[in-house]
Amino acid sequence: MSKLTQRKSLEYVKKDYVRTRTMPASWYLASYKYKYNLTHMQPFLEKLKNKKLIGLQCSGCNRVFFPPRLVCGKCLVKPDRWVDLRETGKVATYTVAYLKDTETGEILERPVVLVQQDGADTASMAQLSPEIDFKDTYIGMPIKVHWVENPTGGLMDIEYYDLVEDDAKDLDLRKE
Amino acid sequence: MGRQVAIVSAGYSEHASKRSDVNMAELVSEAVEDCLKKVPSVGFEDIDAYVNGNMPAFEGSNLPELWMTDWMGARNKPLIRVTTGGTTGGTVAIAGYYTVTAGLPGIDTVLAIAFEQQSQGDTSVGLASVAYGELSVLNTLGMSYEHLTRLLSAGAAIGVASYQATNYMRKSKITEEDLARVVVQNRHNAAKTWWAHLKMPNLTIEEVLDTPYISYPLRYGMVCPASDGACAVLFTTEEKAKDMCDIPVYVNGVASVAHESAVLGYDGSGSGQIDPSEQLGAMRSSELAYSQAGISMPRKEIDYAEVYAPFPNQELMWVEKLGLFEETTAPQMYENGVTGLKGELPICCSGGVNSTNAIGASALERPAEAALQIMGKASNQVPKSVHTAIGHGWGGSLNLCTMLVMADEPQRKWR
Repeated sequence: MSKLTQRKSLEYVKKDYVRTRTMPASWYLASYKYKYNLTHMQPFLEKLKNKKLIGLQCSGCNRVFFPPRLVCGKCLVKPDRWVDLRETGKVATYTVAYLKDTETGEILERPVVLVQQDGADTASMAQLSPEIDFKDTYIGMPIKVHWVENPTGGLMDIEYYDLVEDDAKDLDLRKE
Repeated sequence: MGRQVAIVSAGYSEHASKRSDVNMAELVSEAVEDCLKKVPSVGFEDIDAYVNGNMPAFEGSNLPELWMTDWMGARNKPLIRVTTGGTTGGTVAIAGYYTVTAGLPGIDTVLAIAFEQQSQGDTSVGLASVAYGELSVLNTLGMSYEHLTRLLSAGAAIGVASYQATNYMRKSKITEEDLARVVVQNRHNAAKTWWAHLKMPNLTIEEVLDTPYISYPLRYGMVCPASDGACAVLFTTEEKAKDMCDIPVYVNGVASVAHESAVLGYDGSGSGQIDPSEQLGAMRSSELAYSQAGISMPRKEIDYAEVYAPFPNQELMWVEKLGLFEETTAPQMYENGVTGLKGELPICCSGGVNSTNAIGASALERPAEAALQIMGKASNQVPKSVHTAIGHGWGGSLNLCTMLVMADEPQRKWR
């Protein structure tokens, strides 16, 4: 039953070779081409050029996708209703990234937020205005789109989000 | 109907940040050797098939499973490799379970192996194709990769975890001290585990809070290390298991569910989640696995849990989502010592992923450690007797959750 004799331990190998030898090599993976679907994006991108936001609504579950999706993941149907969205939104969640400036060596603190656009059911990743202190960011913060000067028809037309000045009392409750 | 599957042994290699004394194949053979040492009656000729896996593109070499065939004794035997990103280990375990339970003629005993040698490959190249969920999104929306640096300055796994942390901390009203407490417990446990990586027996909460932020609210001291290591688990049938070891561990339920995209930015899965700490996939996978194992009250019936938590907030989140504690009560349980080595429900007594993270192997080490705790052979053995334990895995850019529910008695559902 016992087959201990057939299994050799690696101990005798380690006795002879204390270290492995390292051979440098590189594996180039960084360049490839990809294709993307334009059919469901075209009206969205055209509206962005005019500084307008629209979302795609699923007729099955009435959820609004921003940015638009080709297929609704819940109903497996093609969302086909375009709805207008407001420029305001709120912070769904956030984190603070710490980046080292390669030239000065200074550590930059940049808040990275996920924004839920008012009227949309999904969140999208965005940046906050550099004027906002990262310590003041909180979940549920009201914000507003800040457009770039010359929109080109892409999601990068939203440069960052500005803070909406609002003294409503329910906002204080959200901060807690 | 499928056969009842049992785990008879599990083994580890030593984990460290740089295992420069061995190469990838030798690292795997260390784990295989440790696994077979615990079952003296089993030799390589008794193993019928192999399942192998690691994180794709992290190792820097193509087809590593063919390279290490001889090192794990797989010559002339069926061998498959599965890779599912961070959950690779969990999927390897599930693939091993399926191979045995399928009842193929002549295949009874299966060795599942997961490994990672991160010091050898380029982790950032691997992450660029796997862990950045945004790449697929950028492809869909037709944006160039240059925008990635502008949009996603908090990238990869910690970028995902810090969003979960922000929302979890707001929901359960905890501070960073509560996160540090989890880290301290894990590092203390790791000090008693022979194969663990970060062993810090004298770490205090103040020391953790003294380190700089990597990505708010996670600090350098809270984050998992990058380790080299391997893990091997031996699966076999119920009949053979009784001959091989004293206490076979029966696998009664397995599940793997992905529900939503990990970075919710562009809603990869179409689920429309806006709260990253909601984790419906974890709830669903635990539900499925518990129902297979016949567990209706996980809080009372489970004695030991190993959860996949590279970051402390995730450990708090998972134990709630897997049904072990009520929502938002987990921080108090860590404070009161319920989850400690001598507590009522010990969690991650091996130090967890927080102390040892060889990415591909991590999710296999969870069920392996849980099985060893049931057998009573674990390095940091809990004093109370363990009858039912769970091993959980999480990873990929789509929040894939794997679950294995194990017990010292077989579930008689198939008969």
